[in-house]
Amino acid sequence: MAVAADPGAIHRGKRGFTSRAVRYLFFGMVLFYFLVPVAAVLVYSFATRWTANVLPDGYTLEWWQATLGDQRIQSAFSTSIALATLTAIIDIAVVVPAAYWSRVRNARIRNVAEVTAAIPFALPYVVIAFGLMQFSGILAPQYQGTFPLLVAGHAAIAFPFVYWAVDGAMSAAGIERLSETAEACGASPIQTIWRVVLPNISPGLVTGGLLSFAASFGEFAMAQIIGRSIDTVPLWSAEMIRSYNDTAGSYNRLAVVTLLTFAILFVLSAVVVYWNRGQTVRLLPGASAGTQGDGR
Amino acid sequence: MSGVSLVGVTKMYGQVKALDHVSIEVKEGELLALLGPSGCGKTTLLRCVAGLEVPDRGTLEIGAVDVTGVPTRARPIGMVFQSYALFPNLTVRENVAFPLEVRHRPKPEVKARVEELLDLVRLSAQADRYPKQISGGQAQRCALARALAPDPEVLLLDEPLSALDALVRGRLRDEIRRIQQRVGITAIYVTHDQSEAMAIADRVAVMNGGRVEQIAAPADLYDEPTSQFSATFVGSRNAVELAVKDGRIGIPGSFQIRAPDGSNGHALAFFRPEDVRVARGDAAAGMEARVELKVFLGATTRLHLIGEADGKPVSIFSDLPSRQARSIDEGETVRVDVDPDHVQAFPA
Repeated sequence: MAVAADPGAIHRGKRGFTSRAVRYLFFGMVLFYFLVPVAAVLVYSFATRWTANVLPDGYTLEWWQATLGDQRIQSAFSTSIALATLTAIIDIAVVVPAAYWSRVRNARIRNVAEVTAAIPFALPYVVIAFGLMQFSGILAPQYQGTFPLLVAGHAAIAFPFVYWAVDGAMSAAGIERLSETAEACGASPIQTIWRVVLPNISPGLVTGGLLSFAASFGEFAMAQIIGRSIDTVPLWSAEMIRSYNDTAGSYNRLAVVTLLTFAILFVLSAVVVYWNRGQTVRLLPGASAGTQGDGR
Repeated sequence: MSGVSLVGVTKMYGQVKALDHVSIEVKEGELLALLGPSGCGKTTLLRCVAGLEVPDRGTLEIGAVDVTGVPTRARPIGMVFQSYALFPNLTVRENVAFPLEVRHRPKPEVKARVEELLDLVRLSAQADRYPKQISGGQAQRCALARALAPDPEVLLLDEPLSALDALVRGRLRDEIRRIQQRVGITAIYVTHDQSEAMAIADRVAVMNGGRVEQIAAPADLYDEPTSQFSATFVGSRNAVELAVKDGRIGIPGSFQIRAPDGSNGHALAFFRPEDVRVARGDAAAGMEARVELKVFLGATTRLHLIGEADGKPVSIFSDLPSRQARSIDEGETVRVDVDPDHVQAFPA
């Protein structure tokens, strides 16, 4: 169906072949650029020693066994996943109603939201983390160095990803108009949000959620400053780099952790892409032009 | 079913009066068109009836019940928007079912009602398609079915045909009218297109600057505009400025009528191009005029004529049946006559 919407589809001739070749060439280059580092890490995670030659001296499952069996890594992963999941959930729960309200009822919220959403990009996380430390020291010193405060900090720096994704999705869906229509159809505000707003912004919701998840999962500076005794995956990785020990295979185990992190985010992204493709057919104009235009 | 009554409805946007003490009575089962240029307040008025705008002053009744403070979702209305506004995540059938489902009607009732409506708007074959998979005309018929689904007392249509191409527009206009009459529902129809308003409405309310200039049946509005604005806005018309002499105005050799009250030296005379008679030869009655331009429009031919009144050139359009116009050439001098019964005059 998507092909039928391509205006060039009927003009595929000799020129089409060259342009297709160029397209595949670029696609191959991008693929190469992304896959070579991942492949290198993958090989490294199985290598016994890899120094002088193009390929390692030998292969072993030792690093994978040691890493997967390591309780500290297991707990770092569960901490990071819990942290990132909570961050994404909190951000969605806070941002979606705010973005909706700013579009449907009170446009003045918009300015505040947009300025706030720019801060995490403009200021280094270290600065924000330090500010949070000071602030929480005055307000709630008993929470310093705890998981809840780190969740709050991550929610604060990751929310712009949700905001921009959700706001864009609302704009694309024409959410103001759809809300008015739902109201004229007799729907209550809750019915409107549940049955009309959320289904029509779901691509932005899922994308924003994933981005905030990824931002929290890979965040280092704030975890270092606020988290202290909390062990997250980036903190563990940093420690591995600092305490390099060849016989213990620090870098090889780091490669395993990197691959696991990559796998988690890749699977999530794949779910998002799959989810959004289903939406594209229904929600984007022209996506199903092939079935259109039969009479009135 | 019942009518709508607006009394003294006023709506301000900052310093701008979008609606200025508008009072309208829409009769039961009637289709009233709100006609006017953009910014005249017609859409604001419709949105006030829907409850999407809250008037600053005035009251609104639907079926003798005061709904001024009632929120949109609790008003007995159905609404069709210019931009279709179908829910893109729902199929045609689900869109039509939506207003019934949010009211928690029993499932079998919803199913039966939806099938009935899809049949009414002839969309049964497209029932399982998504809005992006149907044409604009089909989308608007779906929106109409959805608006009618909960059996509202009033149907509100906000420029429902503006986004469609000309051919579909005419057909869908007649279909909306047919369905409205069949259901017998009271309807308010906003449009800026005067021929659309004339074709579909029982009565037309001409709006300008937040006020209602005139409410009349299409034929009455066409023949006897009561204000200068309705005269210029509805249909194409000649507008000739004439000097008042002894309380009368006229063009030499043709009509002489009483000058309108309140005219100060000059008055504007309005008359339709099809009411201008054109004849050749000195024996005929009327003002002498030269044929400047002849434009063939199919059934009719439009002549641009230049005559003279009060010592000034006067430009007049005339629409003649094309067969009759065939013998008249550009540059020729003819006699132009207008029946005084067809002239409306307003102070200049």
